[in-house]
Amino acid sequence: MERFLELVIASVLLAGLYATMAYGLGLIYGVLRIVNLNHGGMIMAGAYAGWYLHSEFGIDPYLALLPVGTVAFLVGMGMYRLLVHRLPRGAAGGVQSLLLLFGVWLVMRNIAYLLFTGNDQTVHTTYATRAITLAGAQVSVNRLAVFGVALATLGILHILLTKTYFGKALRAVAQNPESCTLQGIRVDRIYALTFGLGTALASVAGLLGATLFPFNPSFGAAELLKSFVVVVLGGLGSVAGTAIAALILAAVEVFPTAIPGFPTYLTAALGFVLLVLVLVLRPGGLFGQRVLG
Amino acid sequence: MSTEPLLEVRGIDAGYGDVQVLSGLSLKVEEKEIVTLLGSNGAGKTTTLRCIMGVVRPRTGEVIFRGQPLSAQPASERAGQGMALVPEGRELWPQLTVRENLELGAYHQRARARAAQNLERVHQLFPRLLERKSQMAGSLSGGEQQMAAIGRALMSEPSLLLLDEPSLGLAPIVVEQMFEVIRSLHQGGMTILLVEQNLQAALEIATRGYVIETGQVKLTGTAEQLRNDPKIRAAYLGL
Ligand SMILES: Nc1ncnc2c1ncn2[C@@H]1O[C@H](COP(=O)(O)OP(=O)(O)OP(=O)(O)O)[C@@H](O)[C@H]1O
Ligand SMILES: [Mg+2]
Repeated sequence: MERFLELVIASVLLAGLYATMAYGLGLIYGVLRIVNLNHGGMIMAGAYAGWYLHSEFGIDPYLALLPVGTVAFLVGMGMYRLLVHRLPRGAAGGVQSLLLLFGVWLVMRNIAYLLFTGNDQTVHTTYATRAITLAGAQVSVNRLAVFGVALATLGILHILLTKTYFGKALRAVAQNPESCTLQGIRVDRIYALTFGLGTALASVAGLLGATLFPFNPSFGAAELLKSFVVVVLGGLGSVAGTAIAALILAAVEVFPTAIPGFPTYLTAALGFVLLVLVLVLRPGGLFGQRVLG
Repeated sequence: MSTEPLLEVRGIDAGYGDVQVLSGLSLKVEEKEIVTLLGSNGAGKTTTLRCIMGVVRPRTGEVIFRGQPLSAQPASERAGQGMALVPEGRELWPQLTVRENLELGAYHQRARARAAQNLERVHQLFPRLLERKSQMAGSLSGGEQQMAAIGRALMSEPSLLLLDEPSLGLAPIVVEQMFEVIRSLHQGGMTILLVEQNLQAALEIATRGYVIETGQVKLTGTAEQLRNDPKIRAAYLGL
């Protein structure tokens, strides 16, 4: 029973990270109909940014979240204006945008190799190994903090999307851009801001991930794939759907670790088994085809 | 008429890709008029309205609003200047609530300041929208969607309202209600350009009309003149 509780707690905490990680990918796809393959690159960049600020300047990774997120937001806006803006969208333009953003990712990854070598890095904070007892289970303080940040991020996003003019306009653009233009919404600006927001979320997730796992320049690849799993399961841009999907993915990865002799290298594959099952059984995702509804 | 028209379309050519739809189309709408734009399917009525709103760019010619040529401005500026289109097929945001659809009608700065007031006015005009405010727009009936689309346009405080077949696909009683609303908006001082298939009703409500055929104005005159024109009676009214 105690073991079960531990597993539940571990799943929930991991789900927070997964939801944050996936949300940006779903947001950009939902609004721009572009699969941001550079999502993985920004996750990696966020991890290195946090690590660099911590190891060089002693800045706590949690304090680095806001500046790193802000810079990533601007980088995303810039990337939209410079590159993505020129691409055809949707089914017709899928290939070009995939190639271009994949190219950007490769370039970023190689720059990281050049700057930081391929060695694994970790962010060692003083509280990295501290744990508290929660409902009888030992829980890492850092994992709790990651979860707290993830929860706050999703909460803020939810408020942004449902309560502000910008958020409503963003959802409207996802559903019918021409009607937006007619009402005076500058659609291209919403696209740029959305791309910035999605990019910022990826970097924040990367930074949070860096406090939990060792990473190297190829960090972000498995995370991109996990983000796909969550987006397909949870639908586009629904905060609740994303959270539930992230929880399912986390549980599917965490629970088998309790089976004695279960090979750890298989846990990563479980998510994709889940993805395939969902695509076969419920091609529209668990919650149907709602877009940012 | 000596004052300059509120809207003038001057010799526009427009189309989609290689297909030319409008050729040298011109029309005027004076302040406080209801002008109706008539023509058979595919004549270019919707394209004309889309050119006026800037979402289709004319290849030549000019759209002039309050004496200002608009060709250099992005389409998203039109709402702020006082033009609103109720598009053919409503084009609401189906997965936003009715309330959110209306709120976004007041997106541009000038309207945003008075959004609360205008929302109340829209609810007075269409009480049904208040009852349905938390419902997704996509789940409304056709008539309710048309109300929401008109409401959304009104939220932007237009001085020129473009309506593209507001009666399309609606039950006769709802059609009547729509025309009643259009009439009351006009009495409230709104200038209206109305595209309609329902010629009879359109010519009853309008002050003037244009008949377009293959992207050109074929006939123009007061509603009275058009009603009595033998060609129109034969071709469109089946009389
Ligand atoms: N997006 C588009 N791409 C290509 N051709 C189009 C497009 N929209 C309209 N057309 C074509 O332009 C012509 C004029 O269309 P338009 O919609 O302006 O006509 P309309 O007078 O509004 O007709 P209706 O009464 O059926 O609404 C038609 O031949 C139509 O097929
Ligand atoms: Mg039409």
